[in-house]
Amino acid sequence: MTRRWRRVVGRVLGATFPGTESLPGLDSNRLDAFLERLAREAPWTLRRALDVCVLLFLITPPLTVHRMRPALLLPAADLDRHAHALANHRTYAGRQCMAMIKTVGGLCWGADTEVRRSLGLRAYGPDPGTFRRGGER
Amino acid sequence: MSSRAPSSASHLSYQVGSRVEIEADYVVIGTGAGGGAAAAVLARAGFRVALCEAGPWRDPQDYPSTTYGAFRDMYAEWGQLFASGDSMIPIIQGRCVGGTTTINSAIMVRTPDDVLSEWARLGLGETMTPDAIGAANDRVEEQLGVREMAGVQLQHHNQMMLDALQAREMESHPTRRSAPACEGTSQCLQGCRSGAKLSTNLNWVPEVLDLGGCLLSSAPVDRIEIARGRAVGVHGRFRNPRPWEPPVRGARFRVRARRGVLVAASATGSAPLLQRSGVRLPALGSGWRAHPGAGVIGIYPDEVGMHTGTTQGASSVQLRSSAGIKLESLALPLELLAARVSGAGSVHARVLEEIPRMAFWVAAIRAEAEGTVHRGRLGPVRVRYVPTRRDLEHLRLGMVELARTHFEAGAEAVRPGIVGVPASLGPDDLHLLEAAPLANRNWTWVLSHLFGGCPMGADPRRSVVGPDLQVRGVAALHVVDASCLPTTLGVNPQQTIMAVSMVIAEHIAERAEELGVVA
Repeated sequence: MTRRWRRVVGRVLGATFPGTESLPGLDSNRLDAFLERLAREAPWTLRRALDVCVLLFLITPPLTVHRMRPALLLPAADLDRHAHALANHRTYAGRQCMAMIKTVGGLCWGADTEVRRSLGLRAYGPDPGTFRRGGER
Repeated sequence: MSSRAPSSASHLSYQVGSRVEIEADYVVIGTGAGGGAAAAVLARAGFRVALCEAGPWRDPQDYPSTTYGAFRDMYAEWGQLFASGDSMIPIIQGRCVGGTTTINSAIMVRTPDDVLSEWARLGLGETMTPDAIGAANDRVEEQLGVREMAGVQLQHHNQMMLDALQAREMESHPTRRSAPACEGTSQCLQGCRSGAKLSTNLNWVPEVLDLGGCLLSSAPVDRIEIARGRAVGVHGRFRNPRPWEPPVRGARFRVRARRGVLVAASATGSAPLLQRSGVRLPALGSGWRAHPGAGVIGIYPDEVGMHTGTTQGASSVQLRSSAGIKLESLALPLELLAARVSGAGSVHARVLEEIPRMAFWVAAIRAEAEGTVHRGRLGPVRVRYVPTRRDLEHLRLGMVELARTHFEAGAEAVRPGIVGVPASLGPDDLHLLEAAPLANRNWTWVLSHLFGGCPMGADPRRSVVGPDLQVRGVAALHVVDASCLPTTLGVNPQQTIMAVSMVIAEHIAERAEELGVVA
């Protein structure tokens, strides 16, 4: 994932999980490190599936808000309507694409300390990624 | 009985370099509910057992906290395993020492009598007798400290479901779980970092090693070696548990089995492994079944505290006999709950603000659909599974009952998450849910209880293993996991998988001398 494409993915995830007055959304502060980690650790199939879904998100405004331009060039209100409309689209592919984007976005959003605090949940501990080495009992 | 291996060699994890050769009496492939139970029985009988597990060995302090970490460290294929057909349905499975027992809710339900009757009608009455399975259930419960959840373990969100079911005069009970010291951290699905959940990596696997066995972790088995019609060992290659840090492929290994091989690689893994090993049986990969599940979110006027208490503490089997439906509470991790809430953008965000007032309850059905599992062309496994219209009718009924129970508990609205049904329904809108479209693609569901692929039976054309769970046509090769179960259960399957595996392992141990030893 190039840095430029990562920014595109980040903006799509941000449009899917915007903030409200009381609840933080996904912005670059939260996404940069997450996407870098995802690009490094996730299997190839998952990363490509996300890329395809983001691409579909970018090119489908004609089917949702009837605008002939890529999603990220839409005015903010139209981009917001596009995200919601695609998540509820009559085509299975459109909905599945948003399910993938929401799943990946949810992994970042739901683990964020500030988000969790806003919802009254305790902050997560670490993901040590450790395991027993051979010979250890 | 073989002599004990030196303790330093009792656990081999990912390594590079020259090929590893090991010898044991029995090789058990998989360390989950089936493999762990069988290995413990054989080790206690005095045999040297080698366990091969595709995933790494993680202790509670190694478990992740986040769902991202759980997908990465604990779940098969990063949680991206799907059954396909006319829709894609996620499959939940663990991949680490302990298998799915590390990431499930540890709910333990005794093998139902009606299931044993069904199995008897399939010609399995000789080995799967009510007495034998009942006694094995007793042993499982005793060894894993199974008990009903109570008090602080339940917390408000589980108790409110129990109270609402009771108010509706429906059967209800706190779940019985193999987590006697559960602290109610609501982290079952990421692995219990407090160590309260007694998954097999914390009991039976260490016991096998204490009794002289050995464990190969991060060691997926590629194929079973079959010579002159008898299983004589397994071959594989260690795999780096941190595959983003090359080299991914480690050393090759071979484990020689002097007495036999037991396959417990799961309902998605065992049949493809037998296929890769050259087993050719018409029923191999068939009879794949599941309990599809879906949930209804209830929105309440006050805080619910979904993420406190045990992950799944309340249950009802009121509708099991009539429609194969089981109802349960579920504390879905925030990350997955955010994805489950329908919509996106600002509309979605406003719903997420209501999370403190949400309760999520699920219905799982004893589906009649039958699918297949095979080696994958692109991925490791290909599961084809299409729930039937009748399955959807039952699931819809389960969702309606969940919605009614939410309203009984005081919910202001429910969110069923079905395309074609309004995102939010009030108490007067239930007719809309009752008329929800019966189209698989409209539903948000998941497959968590899996069965089949190597079904047991008396009919050689329709089964892969006989009543003694031996693979037809191959001596000293048994299947001892959910893949051999010929029917669904309509209840959580972990205890039945363990009990069946124990019964067969005891049978194998008793007959060991008949089969003899490979020279």
